[in-house]
Amino acid sequence: MKVRDIMTKDLTSCEKDVSIRELIFILDSAGVPNMPIVDEEDKVIGFISEKDIIRACLPGYFDMLHTASFIPDMNQISKKLEQISGDPVEKYMQRDMIVVTEDDDDLQAAEIIIRKNIKNLPVVDKYGRLVGQVKRIDLLRHLL
Amino acid sequence: MIITVTPNPAVDKIYWVDQLKMAKETQDEFLTRARKSDTSAGGKGVNISIFLSRLGVENVAMGFVGGYVGHVVVRDLRDEGVTTNFVWVNGETRTNVIVLERGHEYVPIMIDEPGPAITPEEVARFLRRYKRMLNRATWVILAGSLPPGVDGDLYRVLASMAKEAGARVVISAAGDALGRGLLAAPYIVKPDIRETPVINGLPLSTRSEIIDAGKRAVADGTGIVIVSHEVTGDIAITADGVWEILAPAKTTEFKNFVGADDVLLGGIVHMLNKGERLENALRFGMAAGMMSAESDKKICSDLDQIEKHMETISINKL
Repeated sequence: MKVRDIMTKDLTSCEKDVSIRELIFILDSAGVPNMPIVDEEDKVIGFISEKDIIRACLPGYFDMLHTASFIPDMNQISKKLEQISGDPVEKYMQRDMIVVTEDDDDLQAAEIIIRKNIKNLPVVDKYGRLVGQVKRIDLLRHLL
Repeated sequence: MIITVTPNPAVDKIYWVDQLKMAKETQDEFLTRARKSDTSAGGKGVNISIFLSRLGVENVAMGFVGGYVGHVVVRDLRDEGVTTNFVWVNGETRTNVIVLERGHEYVPIMIDEPGPAITPEEVARFLRRYKRMLNRATWVILAGSLPPGVDGDLYRVLASMAKEAGARVVISAAGDALGRGLLAAPYIVKPDIRETPVINGLPLSTRSEIIDAGKRAVADGTGIVIVSHEVTGDIAITADGVWEILAPAKTTEFKNFVGADDVLLGGIVHMLNKGERLENALRFGMAAGMMSAESDKKICSDLDQIEKHMETISINKL
């Protein structure tokens, strides 16, 4: 089966200059964990997830910690989130994102989703324009 | 690619009842039980998107959605194979209630909510996304009412942008949204005459009024004006002439008139998009609309039935 046969045909996305506050609103309203970032021609140029925003709010030494007990409380994260809420998503988006095309095999999409541990995979046409997304649930629904 | 824009989509909640008791008649507390019900994504552009998708035509549905009902609209469209590209807003997408009483299905009771108020920021977000989509558009269908907060000039702006991008524009609306949209000289216009049978301040009640108003709109740059005249007949006006499209249906036999008008327009666009002549497109559209009205389902898309029904449609040049 091809990616086009299993993908969710949704083009919800945002531009690189959209603020983090606006992005959080879109993610929350649309009920999605991440979002492709597109340019003026709808070409996918990046990807941003809830995880990227949370990471941007954590102290730089977080990765070196074994537990979060060294972080005094959530206020610190809340303050940081408030600080970055006006920043453009461009500042925190992943630029080395992975995409698949409509004509790729579903197995290829499944492998990327499992190996890279991602929930949604953007699907593009031959011009690199967003045409949909493959979600983990899309794979499960079509496998059953 | 065909793009439909429904600024004020809805969930259509249809109830079939044996008898609808009205408070003013009973003067007492009462309960009307529905025999059955149906919930589906609605709004003019949404209905057209679903119809086109069932015919196998790729299309993208755009507009504003919000809240729980917004998710129902998007989910329903995706299940129908329509590509969705909506701007999420703070309010709640509206629910429209339709009651079909046994034996009187041809006069449905319809209660439409106003829809969520849209902010200027949300309109700006939509315009950016719409502009991007126009790179892929061959047809743009602007359909339905505008939600509160949206400037009445929206359809004119969207139509102008689409024309500049090389797309053919269709407007199906009423009132100010339609009147101002006409200034952009769209390719097809279908006035919604349920509430305001007027186009550009000219009445659309009698056949001669429709023809006069249509000719005026065509003289001002609109390509084709299509107006429903009586339930089973439409009038189409172009620079080449005026046609009356008639279906031999009995309105009292209609089972579900909801969305039939949108199916009619979707059918016309579908055929023109395939390169068919206008006369054939009008015949197909009318047949599709009639099949939809005569079916229990909100949108009938049985191609065999529609094509068979086309033979019964007559088109007369006036």
